[in-house]
Amino acid sequence: MKEIVALSDKTITINRNEFLKVKGSIDTNIYYIESGSLRIFVLDDYEEQTIRFGYKENIIVSLDSFLTEKPSDLFIQAIKKTVIKVITKQQIEKFLETESNRTLWTKILENLVIQQMEREIDILTNSPKERYERVLKRSPQLFQEIPNKHIANYLRMSPETLSRLKKS
Amino acid sequence: MQSEKLIQQLLEQTTQITNQAEKLKTLDLNTLTWKENNTSWSILECLEHLNLYGDFYLPQIETKLKTSDSKPESEFKSGLLGNYFAKSMLPKEKLNKMKTFKDKNPLNAKLDTTVINKFIDQQIKLLDLLNQSRNVSLNKVKISTSISSFITLKLGDTFQFYINHIIRHLKQIERIQLAMKNV
Repeated sequence: MKEIVALSDKTITINRNEFLKVKGSIDTNIYYIESGSLRIFVLDDYEEQTIRFGYKENIIVSLDSFLTEKPSDLFIQAIKKTVIKVITKQQIEKFLETESNRTLWTKILENLVIQQMEREIDILTNSPKERYERVLKRSPQLFQEIPNKHIANYLRMSPETLSRLKKS
Repeated sequence: MQSEKLIQQLLEQTTQITNQAEKLKTLDLNTLTWKENNTSWSILECLEHLNLYGDFYLPQIETKLKTSDSKPESEFKSGLLGNYFAKSMLPKEKLNKMKTFKDKNPLNAKLDTTVINKFIDQQIKLLDLLNQSRNVSLNKVKISTSISSFITLKLGDTFQFYINHIIRHLKQIERIQLAMKNV
């Protein structure tokens, strides 16, 4: 990961609730979060549905747009004041011209596929309690970094249900 | 200009606008309602003025998008009038005063911070409409202006005009904040 972050020559700060990306835009950048936190969500009939979170030392990216270079429906919004390093697709492509770097890159992408599968299982799990426990086990730090209401949305339950589960 | 390029540019501008409005949410009511003199606008009045324009244009654009059977076109060409209107909205170096139509003047209306939330909701709506506009022709869909229903602009020009008008008043808001600091 360090090698990828080192490619960046641009750091930006966005404040709470500000958008890094909105629905319909093309965004082929990769973002490394130095501090703060962000969420990725989609708007479904004016109802926000959180898909992913990123907090310090994470990478966040609109992966669809990054891969296809086409518009993507995702929004990326800061949950609190966030400092991020921007890595462009061009910088990644240049990096991948070196053979050994490609192995590293494949590892990162493989990791991402695993994470996506975990998330798919989360969503298909019926019991709210089980959904909560899966995420707690996988990412205990999430509960330190992200406000409850966003985690509840991510877990597809009301904030009340989440706080009840946390107490039990 | 390529239609998709124009849409990307407008989406980017709308993102910046929304982020600027989010910043305004952190200001207290005293700052938001401060005005240089009796006839000038406060920050909230600027935003309410923009909301009144949104109330006029956004529902109309939404209806036209729903009912249009035009096909998307890869190229957008500004109309003569549309280009003029859109450009005239952009703020100049030294802010050129423009006349406000009476029904769009919020001067001394009772306003609170819900005005900012409404403004942000309108920007989210605008993003939605910009996305939907990929399915129609930015040239063939025509939108009536608030000046007269007989004067229509191409959808692509209407978006540019509408967004430039917002940028104009956000600049005005920056000036208000500066003036307030200097008092």
